[in-house]
Amino acid sequence: MSEVQTVPVTLRVNGEEKRILVEPRKLLSDTLREDCHLTGTHVGCEHGVCGACTVLVDGRPMRSCLLYAVQMAGRAITTIEGVSSDGQLTPVQQALHEAHGLQCGFCTPGIVLTMEAWLAENPAPSEAEIRDALSGNLCRCTGYHNIVVAIAEAAARLRQAKAGE
Amino acid sequence: MSKPAIGQSLPRKEDHRFLTGQGRYLDDIVVPGALHAHFVRSPHAHARILAIHTEAAARAPGVVRVVTGRDLAQWTTSLRMAPPIQGLHPVEMTTLPIDKVRFIGDPVACIVATDRYLAEDAAELIAVEYEELAAVTDMTRALAPGVALVDELLASNLISHQTFSAGDPARRFAEAPVVVEAEFHQHRQTHAPIETRGCCAQWDEGRRHLTMHVGNQVPHPYRTQLARRLRLSESQVTVVSPDIGGGFGQKIALYREELTVAALSRALKRPVRWREDRNENLLASCHAREDSVRTRAAVDTEGRILALELKIIEDFGAYCFYPANYVARVVALIVSGPYRISNYASDVKSVLTNKCGYGPMRAPMGMVSWVMEGTIEAIARRLGRDAIEVRRINMLSRSELPYRMATGEVLEDITVRETFETALEAFDIARFRERQRADRERGIHRGLGICNVVESTTYGSAFFKAAGIPGSGYEAAWVKVEPSGAVNASTGLMASGQGYETTFAQVVADALGVAPEDVRLTIGNTDTAPYGMGSRGARGGTAGGGALMLAGQALREKVLSIAAALLGLNSSGELRLARGQVERRLGGEWTGTGLSLADIAQVAYLDPLRLPSGMEPGLEAHKAYDPPPMTYSNSTHLCEAVVHTATGRITLERYLVVEDCGTVYNPMIVAGQQHGAIAMGISGVLLEEIVYDGSGQNRSGSFADYMLATAVEIPSIEIISQHTPNRRNPTGSKGMSEGGVMGAIGSVMSAVNDALSPFGVVADRQPLAPDYIRSLLRGKA
Repeated sequence: MSEVQTVPVTLRVNGEEKRILVEPRKLLSDTLREDCHLTGTHVGCEHGVCGACTVLVDGRPMRSCLLYAVQMAGRAITTIEGVSSDGQLTPVQQALHEAHGLQCGFCTPGIVLTMEAWLAENPAPSEAEIRDALSGNLCRCTGYHNIVVAIAEAAARLRQAKAGE
Repeated sequence: MSKPAIGQSLPRKEDHRFLTGQGRYLDDIVVPGALHAHFVRSPHAHARILAIHTEAAARAPGVVRVVTGRDLAQWTTSLRMAPPIQGLHPVEMTTLPIDKVRFIGDPVACIVATDRYLAEDAAELIAVEYEELAAVTDMTRALAPGVALVDELLASNLISHQTFSAGDPARRFAEAPVVVEAEFHQHRQTHAPIETRGCCAQWDEGRRHLTMHVGNQVPHPYRTQLARRLRLSESQVTVVSPDIGGGFGQKIALYREELTVAALSRALKRPVRWREDRNENLLASCHAREDSVRTRAAVDTEGRILALELKIIEDFGAYCFYPANYVARVVALIVSGPYRISNYASDVKSVLTNKCGYGPMRAPMGMVSWVMEGTIEAIARRLGRDAIEVRRINMLSRSELPYRMATGEVLEDITVRETFETALEAFDIARFRERQRADRERGIHRGLGICNVVESTTYGSAFFKAAGIPGSGYEAAWVKVEPSGAVNASTGLMASGQGYETTFAQVVADALGVAPEDVRLTIGNTDTAPYGMGSRGARGGTAGGGALMLAGQALREKVLSIAAALLGLNSSGELRLARGQVERRLGGEWTGTGLSLADIAQVAYLDPLRLPSGMEPGLEAHKAYDPPPMTYSNSTHLCEAVVHTATGRITLERYLVVEDCGTVYNPMIVAGQQHGAIAMGISGVLLEEIVYDGSGQNRSGSFADYMLATAVEIPSIEIISQHTPNRRNPTGSKGMSEGGVMGAIGSVMSAVNDALSPFGVVADRQPLAPDYIRSLLRGKA
């Protein structure tokens, strides 16, 4: 078996350019964690079901375990470490905290990123819609109850903030 | 005085790091130069290992070492599981199998390489020669004569068998006007924490010391095992548990992979790490819950239970990481739950099969409430009576407490009638029945499920002694006030999402007299935490909270004694510490003394000659607390389900629980535990299933096959708190977090059977998958 060759790729992660050498087969999730040292992106299943590794690619939620780092040239990636621009918790993060919408916290970054993107397009969701949007993220601890409460609250706060602009 | 911290829904201290991606789970710990381990696993359910060819893999790029069971046998000792329990056969397993594999996923070789991708590449170069053997995949057939033996040192696959009888059940059955039989079949499931297993072992050759990073619920017992099996002293091993991405009982045992990685780090004198993938986690970590129960009840014509007989058989899989009677025995021990049953007999069997080994999963005894409530419903059906009335006739009243069950278990501070009646009233049963009737006419089949739960939460040492199981139930804690007045505390528990850093800060805050935000709890490091039994069952709140309460109180006494001396008082009787300030009662009013906890700490550490004569310098207290034999909490679960008869689909439309779990440290966190437990129960009943086919192939190797409930399947959960304190422990806690699983299993089954009642069929097995529901209804709906 021959050595696997690495190739250079420039990633734009959380607004910063990162030039790295990776094997073409290296997953984006592993690259973010190992080469970019951003360990907030968690790997739960490596087959695209659990949603823990969700990041935003050009603003859209994607499973980083189903992407290769070499596919990401020219795309803007946002991880949990970059979701807040001002160092404060975002309304989604803050609502999850207040409503006890996380326990072990392993699935939480994927849920935050999924919901950040979804609420931007769905500012006034019903409970059923929230549950449907959340169904791509598995959580083994919370029973989802408080996550649903938190997302509804975050949506209300985001609407309020927008109305006040 | 300021409000007590206990009882407040304080937001969690843990959250900020988790919400911002700064948690430190196992794989987030960077260890420079660490090698990566990957395991080669058996593709056969049962086969002799004839040869393992590792040479090609050893030469592959990046590979540092390839080892098999023979290598490990030189570096480690075997695990012998031989507690002195009557009817339980001793077994022994090597670190990796040497002669034969016993299930799909059994690890046969380990590759260590410079990165995980290269280690997995090399796995393809390992050739194992097997001689396939007949696989035992069904626990009933496992007991047939002439069947293959999973463990060839045993005479049969019946690894454990115990019987018990109290009162005179035979006579009651002979005399009773009616005998009702029922069956309950629960399917194989697995814990599925979203973070899979893993570890990172760092052997320090210079100090001859191993640091083991591993997300583990019981760091100290784990260290004892790890040191013993590596032939090291407990001084040579430190277990450091990072943030854990869910445990649910899967992260208790010392697994063979972890021991292998530790032994390899020592042999190679380099750090070695391992993280399993989801496929390995589903195939080869541990499984749970596969049981069949049969009950017979002797009853009078009103449904009063005169005697009960229970037979349980459990599929324990291929290896024993726990005594094989361990879980089924608890089902047999507490099955009567909130009901009055004085004549009782049980028969408890555990069987080895060619499946992944068994591990306790959140509510290991989880089916027990379903078994009891389902038996009562069978009685009601047989007699044509209302199952609510049959429950009432048999249910214990407060005046009968303390009540000694036929098995000897004692129920004391429980409020089963209270939660039951509150739940029925809150649900408005009469209105539901009207709606049910009207909907049935429209072809909508709705059912109400009821499940009363008596949850065994906290096992004291006396329980283990009485049950003849080796085990200890105490927990330990220390609380320290540092020279600046900062408060640190620790316990032997380890969190995997329970919010200990928040709730136990509340307990210490009240015990000591400081604000909860000023208490920091550090856990999970065996060098700094006290030796305790760790987190399992629902013991944390009662055992750990009790130990922390006692340590905090002991330290407060010392603080106040010092304060009295500094204030020139003879006694500390009229002093208290409140939010870190020493106050004195003068004329019935609490007033400040000008002394703070920091002042006291300064003296205790830095000016010890001012301490009362004979008092030792410093401010710390260490306490251990051994709870009573068993602590119980109780709850009533009501669930409304709709069975779509054309498709077999089930939807849950309402879920209500009334719970009494004693003193609650943090109501928000306790509610979160209830939600999570109920969701796990629902998910197991409706969706999750580990499926082995007849050849022992595991067909549930991904999350596309092993389905966890999503936010769509789990309903909103209404909680009514009806807590009354426990009188037998320092905090009044009764414990909780597994009862939700028990109640959900029972109430969902009950609701579906209520919905199915017009068709004259009974669902007695799980999961309630659409094809099963349709098979019941075929030709009937």
